[in-house]
Amino acid sequence: MSTPLLERFVSEARELLQGAASSLLVLEKNPHDEAAINDVFRSVHTLKGSVGLFDYPAFTKLVHAGEDVLSSVREGKLALTSDLVDTLLDSLDQVSAWVDDIDGSGVLSQGADGISKEMTARLRAVLPLEFGAEKTPVAEVHTADLTAVDWVQSLPEAERLAAFTAAMNGAEIQAIEYQPLEDCFFNGEDPFILFRQIEALYGLTIEPSEPWAELGVLDPYRCILRFRALSAAPPPEIETLFRYVLEQVRMAQVPVHSLASVSGDLNGGPVYGDFVEEARRLAAAHNWPALRLAVGALLQLTAPGLLLASALRWLEAVLSSPQPNAVWVDALIGCIEKGEVNLQPLTSTTPQAAATKPPESQPAVAPPIPEPPLQTGLGALPPMFARILESQRQILGLPIPEGGLITRLDAVAQTVSNLLAAERRRAADSTAWTEAVDLAVAQNDASPVLDLLDRWLQTAGDQPLPAAQIATDPARSRPEAGEHLAQEIKQASRILKVDQAKVDTLMNLIGELVVSKNSLPFLAKRAEEVHGSREMSREIKDLHAVIDRLAQEMQSAIMAVRMLPVSEVFDRFPRLVRDVARKLGKHIDLVVEGADTAADKNIIESLGDPLLHIVRNSIDHGIESPEERSAAGKPAQATVLLRAFQDSDQVVIEITDDGKGIDPEKIKASALSKGVIDAERAARLSDQDAINLVFTAGFSTAAKVSDLSGRGVGMDVVVNAVEKAGGSVSISSIKGEGTTVRLSLPLSMAVTRVMVVEAGGGMLLGIPMEHISETVRVHRDNVQRFKQSEAFVLREAIVPMIRLDNLLGIPATQWFGDGNEEDAVLVVRIGGNVVGLVVDHFREGMDIILKPFDGILSGIQGYSGSALLGDGRVLLVLNLKELL
Amino acid sequence: MPFKLTKSTVTAEENCTVEDAMPLLEHLIAHPAAKIDLRRCTSLHSAVLQVLLAAQPKAVALPHETFLARWMGPLFAKAGR
Repeated sequence: MSTPLLERFVSEARELLQGAASSLLVLEKNPHDEAAINDVFRSVHTLKGSVGLFDYPAFTKLVHAGEDVLSSVREGKLALTSDLVDTLLDSLDQVSAWVDDIDGSGVLSQGADGISKEMTARLRAVLPLEFGAEKTPVAEVHTADLTAVDWVQSLPEAERLAAFTAAMNGAEIQAIEYQPLEDCFFNGEDPFILFRQIEALYGLTIEPSEPWAELGVLDPYRCILRFRALSAAPPPEIETLFRYVLEQVRMAQVPVHSLASVSGDLNGGPVYGDFVEEARRLAAAHNWPALRLAVGALLQLTAPGLLLASALRWLEAVLSSPQPNAVWVDALIGCIEKGEVNLQPLTSTTPQAAATKPPESQPAVAPPIPEPPLQTGLGALPPMFARILESQRQILGLPIPEGGLITRLDAVAQTVSNLLAAERRRAADSTAWTEAVDLAVAQNDASPVLDLLDRWLQTAGDQPLPAAQIATDPARSRPEAGEHLAQEIKQASRILKVDQAKVDTLMNLIGELVVSKNSLPFLAKRAEEVHGSREMSREIKDLHAVIDRLAQEMQSAIMAVRMLPVSEVFDRFPRLVRDVARKLGKHIDLVVEGADTAADKNIIESLGDPLLHIVRNSIDHGIESPEERSAAGKPAQATVLLRAFQDSDQVVIEITDDGKGIDPEKIKASALSKGVIDAERAARLSDQDAINLVFTAGFSTAAKVSDLSGRGVGMDVVVNAVEKAGGSVSISSIKGEGTTVRLSLPLSMAVTRVMVVEAGGGMLLGIPMEHISETVRVHRDNVQRFKQSEAFVLREAIVPMIRLDNLLGIPATQWFGDGNEEDAVLVVRIGGNVVGLVVDHFREGMDIILKPFDGILSGIQGYSGSALLGDGRVLLVLNLKELL
Repeated sequence: MPFKLTKSTVTAEENCTVEDAMPLLEHLIAHPAAKIDLRRCTSLHSAVLQVLLAAQPKAVALPHETFLARWMGPLFAKAGR
């Protein structure tokens, strides 16, 4: 896992795949469900788009094929059959396996290119013609597999022999057909050189794919060559080599027996009757080394051009295997005996072969050599399954020593039932097998088991396997469904989707923990003061330090869970700005910065509407038309900058435009005419204060009401929303140069920072920290009185003084005379006004979990909620905006 | 130029690249009887190979290099040198 982009892709891909799969299932039940088909299509389409960002050609191609199929289905050109659903689901499974690969190692598993090609071909095969036509090379994979065998036959015998010998020693032979694109030379490709890198290459033939043109008109740079070859290299290796031209390469596993053909000069040379007899005897005795010697000796005496020599060479090749195939040896000896040309002397070890040479009719097999089931190494055509069944059948068919049947039956029964389980065969098969075995044991006769095996093999042989399956190397075959499911479960658990309420509960619990933890210092104090144990007190304090640390870590962990990047909100603006700008005929470039700044989910969500409003305001009121801008000497294209960054425990979002800015005089005039302020105040207002008037309720300067903004609700909506989230808004503007609106929000709403003050003779009250600008102590002599109201001078500004006691309706502590005493004054800023709040004492600042009042208390004005203190007392938190 | 082109013989040098295909073709058109000597050739671009296959010049000598010798030998033998 390397980049965040890739991580995001992986989780998104899993989601899409899941969605696509479940919709596909709905579709299967109800093929005309338009919503479902659209769902599937959309998922696959999105997946195709996102995987395109990365370099996974195999993945992209498969998804693309899937998309094409789904698109045809959607357009009604293709009926969605159960088979098709299966194919699609298989493809989805494969893609999902790849997603796991990407998640795990960042690369697709080996052989992905081949699998992709094969599955893509399967998908494309069902497409209506016009789709298939443009992808001919891919769609024709199946036919290629068939013709592959034809040209293999015409390769020189030496090459086939070499490949055959390699196969006898355990290799699998692939036929490769590579038809480069006509313009491949212009892409810097050199097809010929690719073959140089193939290991174990046999029978490379290079032919023109069309008749040569006259030399005079030949275009040497239009490649019409076609390459064909055999190779014993593993398919994934070959695929890797051809990875860039995989569409132009067709590959198929060559059934080993099809390589062999016996031909040559019929005449001359005696019929080697003696040899045939001797060979038969040695073969029957499975005395391969002796037979090998005999063949080698005879081959030296025989003219190479003779038919006999050819047969001997093949016989030698068959014998080069550690476990020669007796049927093939027999067939080749037969060729020598009859002296006839036989282009297909060998057959695959299918039941047909067994039928002509049933094991029962081999009485001469002397000492039964227990053949290890998997070591035949031959008969590549039938899949592994049939091969094992076949060998098990042969084992049973061998003569059995007295009393050995039960042991052998046991072994075979075990192997076959494992096989059935591994292949996920139908339960009926397993039952049939168990029954047959039981019967055989009871009768002390293997025939019921043999019959069953024959029947299975017969059906396996009768149904030619799809070419695609033959071409699949078992080593790279896709994981079986069940295995894959388990993998998916393992992988999918990495990302949890949790109901937000659960996270909230957890957060509340942690909050409670923080509060309970805070009671430990009180306990320590009590231990020391009441019970007189300093040691106890110290231990409690130590413990408190530990729990404190843990609680803080838990708190930040749970915060991190709730954090979202602001891009969640920002992402919708490019589109919005574009639309609005077009509507208004303005040219606007939106620049987004710091989109990955994270904040609590609630904060991010509360940002949406205010931001929308501000951006619309900017575009509607702030930014001039291109003509006006040009006249003012600005570039016609305006810029709106959305910028987010973290400033200590606040997340700050700035919306800056380079429009005409706010004219303070216009604002004043408008405010005056609307009666928001009076003339006297207007005269005193500084420019900044005037600009701040836009936050006042009911204020809007919009000359005309548009559907975008200026509905008279103005910026006060923004202010309310942001303040509700515990943030603040400020605006600065320079006339003619632009406006910046700055939203400042807490990173998290979970914890509120308050200052605890004492009032009303010992009552504890919390005041949200964001309102407090400073704390001062005012000498009582410096308090100025105007009738009922008091004020003091703070740095040459008059600050009105309000006693918190009066505010809360608590009888104020009376104060007599002594002017040397000081009042504790909390200087707070409410909506641009500075007020001095007189309290009894300042206490500490603390983080609290604010609980809003509910029930009948929720109607009480002046309080924003309560919080529990460490010593069990309840702290009331004031809502100064409502109070003042 | 990796080919020495004369009226009677075309002698390939070690490395025959894609650029050599065109001059080679032109030469073989101009001198249909020219024979080709590939003895020293160790690497042959497909485009050159294509020209040789199409023109089927008589080969004086096949490459010594094993890979080319193995696979080009049959090609030219088959063409009835």
